[in-house]
Parts: sequence; structure tokens; C-alpha cells
Amino acid sequence: MNIDTYISSGVVESYVLGLADTQEAAEMEMLIPQYPELKKAIEEFEISLEVAAFANAVTPSEDTRKQLMLALQDDFVATVIPITKSEDTPKVIPFSNTTSTTQKSWVKYLAAASVILLVASAALNVYYYSKYNEASSQVTALLNEKNNLTADNQKMQVKYLDLFGNFGLMTDPNMVKVSMPGIKGKENNLATVFWDSKTKDVYLLANKLPEAPSDKQYQLWALVDGKPVDAGMLTDCNGICKLKVIEKAQAFAITLEKKGGSPTPNLNELYVMGNVRA
Amino acid sequence: MEAVKKYSETELVQLLKQKQQFAFSYLYDNYSGALLSVIINIVNDTELANDVLQEVFIKIWKQIESYDELKGRLFTWMLNVARNASIDTLRSKGYQNSQQNRELTEASYDAGGTTQLQTDVMGLRKVVHQLKDEYKILIELTYFKGYTQDEISKMLSIPLGTVKTRLRTALIQLRTVIK
Repeated sequence: MNIDTYISSGVVESYVLGLADTQEAAEMEMLIPQYPELKKAIEEFEISLEVAAFANAVTPSEDTRKQLMLALQDDFVATVIPITKSEDTPKVIPFSNTTSTTQKSWVKYLAAASVILLVASAALNVYYYSKYNEASSQVTALLNEKNNLTADNQKMQVKYLDLFGNFGLMTDPNMVKVSMPGIKGKENNLATVFWDSKTKDVYLLANKLPEAPSDKQYQLWALVDGKPVDAGMLTDCNGICKLKVIEKAQAFAITLEKKGGSPTPNLNELYVMGNVRA
Repeated sequence: MEAVKKYSETELVQLLKQKQQFAFSYLYDNYSGALLSVIINIVNDTELANDVLQEVFIKIWKQIESYDELKGRLFTWMLNVARNASIDTLRSKGYQNSQQNRELTEASYDAGGTTQLQTDVMGLRKVVHQLKDEYKILIELTYFKGYTQDEISKMLSIPLGTVKTRLRTALIQLRTVIK
């Protein structure tokens, strides 16, 4: 290839003016390092263009510069401000354009980050608040349930202790058991007297008695030498009720009497009766 | 007071790549006038040219990494950025619409006159205008309007080969005129 012919073919101008196509430009860039005269020709044309442009330079409006600096302010790197070593007097460092812009961009990032954090934390607040409400109503429900269970448990314990006590009474070897079946017409009924042969205490277990009307009460009688003796009123006791002390009796019977009891039994309302085994 | 420092192209490019504001200010203060003249050459409107100039400097700033010293001078690179941005502006929709409106109003006053109203031709375009018409039109269409040689071949109904050789000749002549 004759480089002089190449240089004067117009490719140099085409390349410099940006009119060369990709292939032409690639060829040119490959040849430049090999031919200093080609490089020189390119540079000469570049400079003549540059000179022509500078000769015709038109001053841009002042606004153009301002707007440009404003548009790029966040792109400029911060210029380091040298800090002198005088420690006695705090030095006032004026914010130059560059530092204030980098600070601004810092602040911008911080502001953006804090807004994101705020939104996230607000969302979490709402989420946790609903979780809290849910949990606290569950706790209340559980506490109520627990209180009910404790109360039930206490009732059961009392009942259990009573029953245990009753069990002790019934198995006491000194205890005389008097079974009182229902009399004729009231065969379904049953009550049992436990009579301590030592202390003479009388206990009653109402195995099966109809519920007494609200204005009436069952009364236990001891038959002592053919005469009925008041042995006490049946109250709302648990299982076995402790009644009066009876020194001596051949039989026991229960009648339904007016509330508070009667001095003599109403035999029309006799429910159960049983003899003491000798 | 320290005299204003002059930077070599190499130094300047390096400082620009480091994103130094003072390097950018220096670049703007030294080159904006020359680049603006080139932009005005193409867009024919000083106000619009100032807008394009802004865009061009932003491009220079953002794309400085792609500038390769081995491929040519800094000014040549910036000149091409400016030319491309100017042609893009001419081809943008907004500009075309505004031109249509202008042509309508001007046509009513300038009936019979030349379509292209060249009030103040200067710079490279003025140099180009010294060339013979057949060369002038080729450089006008490629360099100032940004048409490809293929497009020009179709527009002018000249074979592509002819467009290529004529353009080469035009460029050789341009070189002698510009010196």
C-alpha cells in the first residue's frame, strides 16, 4: 500500500470528521501506529479544524454554565480541605461548593435511608400491634380458663377431702351402720345412719331421697324406747352430715317436716326407717 | 495571586477522569466557545445551541472514560460528540414540529426565497460554502445533516459509488481550503 496515496485519498478527513464507517475507521486505527506520517496528517487536519473552531468561538450564555454546574454538582468529587494544626482557636471552614454538594448527597442518602427505615418500622409497628392485640386477648382467655380450673380444682379438693373423711368414718370399727330403706310406697328411697358407739355422734348419708320442697326439710328421728327423739335436720352438707349426739336408740327414721323441724314427727310424711342391730 | 494554570490535554483528561470539578470548569471555560460555534453551525439557532451545548458537556463529563488519546485529539472527540448531539437535536420530534410551524409563518413572508435562510454563516460551514456546489451539498448532507452516504445516494439519485468518490474529493478540497 502506498501510504501517501492513502493519506491524500480523503480518508483522513473522513475519519477525523466522524464520517468514516466502522470498517474504514478500523482500518485507519490499524494503520496509525504503523505510519507516523499518517498520524501526522491526521493531527494536522485535527488542528486546522480546531483552529477554525476557536477562531469562530461564540461565548455561551452565563446561564448555560450555571445550569451545567448545577446539573453535575452531585458528580464532582469532594475537594479535600487542608486542616491546620492550630488547636486553640476553632477554625471556621467555609463550605465551598464542592463540599456542600457532597454533604448534600450524603444527606440525601441518609434521608432516603431514614424514610425507608421509617416506612419499614411503621409497617412492623402495625404488624406487631395486631399480633400484640391477638396475644393479649388470648392471654385474657387463658387466665379466665385457668381461674375457672383452679376454682373447680378447689371444689374438687374440698369434695375429695369430705369424701375421704366420710370414707374414714364408714370404715371406723366403732361405727354402727344403720340402713334405712324406704317404707311401703316409698321403696325407692334409702338413707344410712352411721352411729359412733363411743362418742355417740350420729352421721347421716342420704343415699336416695327426693329433693325437699323449698319450704320443707328432712328431719331425722331416733326411736328411744318407743318414743321419737329429734336427732337433727338434714342440711346441704357434702355427702355425710353430722347430726346430733344420741345416747341410746333402737331405730332411726326420716320424715319431711316444715323448715326448721318439728317437736314430733309427722308420720304421714315418713320416708325411710331402719332398726339398730343389737 | 497564582497565574491560571494551563493544562496539557493529557493532564486535563486525567483530572476529568478523576471527576475533579476544577478540571471540568477549566474544560468548559476553554472549549465551550469553540464547541458552541460548531453547534450553531449545525442547528442554526443560538438559544437552541446553548441547550445542546449543555447536553454536550454533560455527555463529555459522563463519557470521558471512553475517550482514547490514541485515536485522536481531545477536541476532535468533543467535536464529534457535539456534532452528533446537534444532529440528534435536528432530528428530534420536538424540533421538527417547531420547524414546521416556523416554516409556515416564514413561508408567507418569504415566498419565493431560499428555503434555508442563512443569515450568518461562519466557521466550518462558511469554509464548506466556498466549495463547488456538487461538493458543498455532499458535505452539507453528511456532516451538517448527518445523512448516510446510502441515504444521500437515494435522495440525490446518484449512484452510491459516485457519492463516495465525490465526497472524498470534497473532503480533500475542504482540507486545502481550511488551511
